[in-house]
Amino acid sequence: MAEHQALYATDEYGRPFIILREQGRKVRTHGVEAIKQHILAARTVANIIRTSLGPRGLDKILISPDGEITVTNDGATILSQMEVEHQIARLLVQLSKSQDDEIGDGTTGVVVLAGALLEQSEALLDRGIHPIRIADGFDRACKVAVEHLDKISDTIEFSTTNTENLFKTAMTSLGSKIVSKEHEKFARIAVEAVMTVADLDRKDVSFDLIKVDGKVGGSLADTTLFKGVLIDKDMSHPQMPHTVRDAHLAILTCPFEPPRPKTKHKLDITSVEEYKKLQEYEKEKFTDMIKRVKDTGANLVICQWGFDDEANHLLMQNELPAVRWVGGPEIELIAIATHGRIVPRFEDLTTAKLGRAGLVRELTFGTTRDKMLVIEECANTKTVTVFVRGSNKMIVDEAKRALHDSICAVRNLIKDNRVVYGGGAADISSSIAVAKAADEIPSIEQYAMRAFASALDSIPLALAENSGLSPIETLTEVKSRQVNEGRSTLGIDCLGKGNLDMREQFVYDPLISKRQQYLLATQLVRAVLKIDDVIIAGQAED
Amino acid sequence: MQRGLPMQPTVVLLKEGTDTSQGKGQLLSNISACLAVAETLASTLGPRGMDKLIVNDRGEAQITNDGATILKLLDIIHPAARTLVDIARAQDAEVGDGTTSVVLLAAQLLKEVRSYIEEGVSPHIIMKGFRQAAQLAVKRIEEIQVKVDKSDSEKFRALLIKCASTSMSSKLIHSEKPFFSNMVVDAVLCLDQDDLDENLIGVKKIPGGGMQDSLLIRGVAFKKTFTYAGAEQQPKLFKDPLILSLNVELELKAEKDNAEVRIDQVSDYQAIVDAEWEIIYRKLEAIEKTGAKVVLSKLPIGDLATQWFADRDIFCAGRVPAADLQRVVQAVGGAIQSTCSDIKREHLGTCGSFEERQIGGERFNIFEDCPKAKTCTLILRGGAEQFIEEVERSLHDAIMVVKRAVKNGEVVAGGGAVEMGLSAHIRKHAFSIPGKLQLVHIAFAKALEILPRQICDNAGLDSTDILNKLRMRHANGYIWFGVDVDGPEGVRDNMEAFVWEPSLVKINAINSATEAASLILSVDETVRNPQSENPAAGPSLPPGAAQRALRGRGRGMPRR
Repeated sequence: MAEHQALYATDEYGRPFIILREQGRKVRTHGVEAIKQHILAARTVANIIRTSLGPRGLDKILISPDGEITVTNDGATILSQMEVEHQIARLLVQLSKSQDDEIGDGTTGVVVLAGALLEQSEALLDRGIHPIRIADGFDRACKVAVEHLDKISDTIEFSTTNTENLFKTAMTSLGSKIVSKEHEKFARIAVEAVMTVADLDRKDVSFDLIKVDGKVGGSLADTTLFKGVLIDKDMSHPQMPHTVRDAHLAILTCPFEPPRPKTKHKLDITSVEEYKKLQEYEKEKFTDMIKRVKDTGANLVICQWGFDDEANHLLMQNELPAVRWVGGPEIELIAIATHGRIVPRFEDLTTAKLGRAGLVRELTFGTTRDKMLVIEECANTKTVTVFVRGSNKMIVDEAKRALHDSICAVRNLIKDNRVVYGGGAADISSSIAVAKAADEIPSIEQYAMRAFASALDSIPLALAENSGLSPIETLTEVKSRQVNEGRSTLGIDCLGKGNLDMREQFVYDPLISKRQQYLLATQLVRAVLKIDDVIIAGQAED
Repeated sequence: MQRGLPMQPTVVLLKEGTDTSQGKGQLLSNISACLAVAETLASTLGPRGMDKLIVNDRGEAQITNDGATILKLLDIIHPAARTLVDIARAQDAEVGDGTTSVVLLAAQLLKEVRSYIEEGVSPHIIMKGFRQAAQLAVKRIEEIQVKVDKSDSEKFRALLIKCASTSMSSKLIHSEKPFFSNMVVDAVLCLDQDDLDENLIGVKKIPGGGMQDSLLIRGVAFKKTFTYAGAEQQPKLFKDPLILSLNVELELKAEKDNAEVRIDQVSDYQAIVDAEWEIIYRKLEAIEKTGAKVVLSKLPIGDLATQWFADRDIFCAGRVPAADLQRVVQAVGGAIQSTCSDIKREHLGTCGSFEERQIGGERFNIFEDCPKAKTCTLILRGGAEQFIEEVERSLHDAIMVVKRAVKNGEVVAGGGAVEMGLSAHIRKHAFSIPGKLQLVHIAFAKALEILPRQICDNAGLDSTDILNKLRMRHANGYIWFGVDVDGPEGVRDNMEAFVWEPSLVKINAINSATEAASLILSVDETVRNPQSENPAAGPSLPPGAAQRALRGRGRGMPRR
C-alpha cells in the first residue's frame, strides 16, 4: 500500500525521507483520487436519506449505543444519530444541521441536492474539467436558480384572522411525517401556537415562548395546545385543591424552611431547653413565612426548592396550595407568562410581585396517576405549550420533531411571506431556467451549469420514486408541461390526486427555505471540490 | 555490529544510534526534502488553488488553503524542511499573507541551484549571489511600487477593497468576494487609523446560515452568557446606558469558605442569615446607585442578583469571558472593578446602544456606537464548522493585507506580475556581472518565475506558453502584466485589473525566502540524536523551534 502512505519523497538511493512526524502511520490521498473518494462518501450518505424525501418518504429506525430507538424521517435527525465517521460525510451532516438551525425544515432536501451535485461533478471531473471551474459554474448556476426562485415565488396573504394559507403550509411540512394521520390537527396546533406568540409587526417569533412537551399515553389525537404553561409537577399535598381560579402566584426561589446561612456554620446544642428553643424557632419561622405569603394575597406558591413535611402540612392547613421542585427555566417561563417577579426571599415578597393567572388546574391522565399542572389564562397571553400524546415514546418524539418542523415552516412564512410551490415544482422550474441560462455562457462553466440543472432534477426524481411513480416518465411529463404551458406551479403528484398543479393542491414551501437549500448545497459542494489532498493521521495505538 | 569485530578499535564520538550524514550528499538531500514539502503546498497557490483536508490523530478535520496553517498541521520533523515552516510562520506573523508564496519561492531557489551544488560550486558563492539578487529585487520593488493616494477617501476605500479581494481570491469565500472584502475593509477602517490593532477586531463564529449571512458589528458582541432564572425579564435594549464591568462574584455563597461561624444561641441564627443577605444587598445597592444599566462580570452573577437586577430594569451578564470583557472595556471606557464600593462615574463606560439580539441559533449581547476605542466584531456564519474556520482564516489574511495597505499604502500588481518584472530586471542585471555570480543571479531570476508558473498550472493553463507571453510583454516594458486565470488571453495588465498586493508582502517574502534558502545551503551536516527510549510517552519533541511551532500562534486553530 505504498501509494496510500504519506510518502513524500525518496532520495537517490530510494530511501524515504522522514519529513512528517510518524509518517508511516499517516495516510495521504491526493488529486482527483481524493476528490472522487469524497464524492463517493457524500453520495453514500445522500442515498441513505434519499428515500425519506417527500410525503411518501419512508422512515428509518436508529438504535443508539444504549439501545434507545428513534423512528424518524427527519433528515437532520437521521444524520446526526448516524454518528458518521468520514470527514466529508460529516460535512453533509453539518449541512443538514445548519439548515435545521436556520430554517428548521427541508433538511433532507438539502442533502439530496448536495449529493446530486457531487454526483454530477464526478462526470465533469472525468472529462478533465478543473474542479474549481466546476465550482464556479455551480456558483453561477446557483445564482441563476435563486433569482429564478424569486421570480416564480408567490406572496401569500395571512392575518391573525385568516390563517388558512399558513395552515396549508404546515400541512405540507407535516405531510411526510408519522403524524400524517392527524396532520390536520397538528397543522392547526402549529399555526395557532405560532400566531399566538408571533409579533407580526416585527415579524418575529420567539421560540422560547413555545414549549413542546410530551407524555406517553393516549393517542396522537389527544394532543392539545394550552395557552399557558404546562409543568410536569403536581400540588405538593394530595389534599390541596386541584384547581385554583383567579390565581395569584408567589414565585419563590428559596426553600420553605428556616433560612440557613450559606457560610459554614455549626450550632452547638448542649441542653434540652436549647433544643426546644430551636424547635420553637423553626416553627415560628414556618408560620411567619406562611403569613408573609398570605399577607400578599397569594393563593398559590410556586417554589424552586422543596419543603419538608412539616411545611407541607402547615401550607395545607393554611389553605395555601403549593408546587415544589419547579425547575429554573420553568420558573422563568411561569414568571414571564404570569407577569410575576421571581422572589428570592420571603422578606421581599409584595403584592406587586405576584404573578396572575386565570386558572391553574391539575390534569390527570387515563389510569396512570401522573399529574401535570396547567397554568392558563395568564396575564401575558403570549406563551403556549403544546402537549403531545402518543402511544409510545418513539411516536411522541417523532411527533415533537414533526411539530417543530411545521412550526418552523409557519414561522418562516411570518418572517417572509413569499412561497414557492412544493412537490418539486420549484426545482423543475429552476432546472429549466438554469439549463436555459447555461446555453448563453461561452466558457467552460456551461457544462457545470447544465450539471447543476440535472442535479436540481434529482429532487423531483426522488419524490416520484418514493411515491411509487415511474421517476423518469413523471419528471419528463411535468417538465415538458412546464415548458409548454409556461406554468411553474406544476410538480410531482405524489399523493395521486390526479392534479399536477401544486397551487391547486396547496403544496407550499417557504421561499427562504428553498433558497437556503440551494445556497448551502452549493457552498458545501465547492468546499468538497476544492480539496485535493487529504492527510489523515493514524489513530494513536494504545 | 561492533561486537562482531571486537579487536577493531573504533572511536565512539557520539551516542550509539546517532545518525550523522554530511557533505554534499546531505546538502542535496536537504534540498530534496524542502522540494517535497513545497510540492505539497504548490497546489494551493492562486485563485484556482485547491484546499487540503488534514485530519489529526484525534479525528478532527481541518480544511484549509492557508500555507502557514497547512505546514503547521503537517507536523513536519525533517530539520531542513522545518526551516520552511518557520519562514511561513514568520511571514504570517509579519504580514499575514503570502505564506504559500514564500515557501514556494524558497524551495524553487534551492531547486535552481541544485545542479550547481552537484557540480561543486561552493554554497557560499551561491548565498552571496542570492543576497545580492534579493537586494536588487527589493530595490526594484521600491522603485516601481505605486504609492496610493490616501487623500481621496472614496478612492482609497475602493483600493483597499481591491487588495482584500485579491487576498481572498484563492479561498473558499471566493464566490462572496465583494461581500467579504467590503466587510473586511469596513472592519479595518473602524479601527483607530494610527494604531490599527487587529486584536480589536473580534471574530465570533455561529454555525448555521449561509456565508452571506455573516455580519459586521461596529462595536463589541459576545455570546449571551449562562443566565439564571429571571434574566428573561430584564430589559434587552438600552440607548446610551452606563456600563459597569466587574470582577466580583454576585452570589450569596460568595463568602462561604472564608469564614466559619459558631453560634451559641438560636436567636443568633437569624442575625447571621440577615448579615449574609446584607452583604450581597449592599453590593447590589452600591451598583444600582452608580446608575449603571448594564452590569457585566467576569465571575458568576447568581440567581438572586439576576432577579434583583430584573426588578430594577438593569441588564446583567455573569461569567463574561475575560477577552470579551477586556474588549468591552476598551470600547466603552471605564475600568474593570474588583469591588462594588466607591464606584464613581469615571469608572463606568457607555455606548450608543446595547441590545441582546438573536443571531441564528444563539443570542448575542451587542454594544454599538462605542465612544472610546474603535472596535468591531465580525460575526461569521456558514454551513459547517470547518467552513467558518476557513472563512476566519481567509478573513484574517485579508485583514492583515488591508491593514498593511492602510499603514504603508504602497502596492504592486499581483498575479505573478511583479515576480515576472523582477525576474526580467535581475536577468538583465546579471549579464553585467562576470563570474559564477552571474549564474546565481540568473538562477534567482528563474526561481522567481515559479509563482506565475504555479498559478497557471493550478488554473489548468499552459504555463510555458503564458510565461513566454509574459516575458515578451515585460521585455517590451509592460511591467504590470501578470497571469489572468479568467480571460481567454491568459495574460493582462494586473494593475489595471486591480489585482493588487501591498508591496510589503512581496519584499518580506523575497527576503525571508532568500534567507531560508541560504540557511539550508549553509548546512552540510545533520547530527540527529537517537529517539528517546520510551516511545509510549508520546512523540518526543525536538527542542526549540519544534515546540514553538507546535504551540501555534494563537489563531487559526480552534481552542480546544
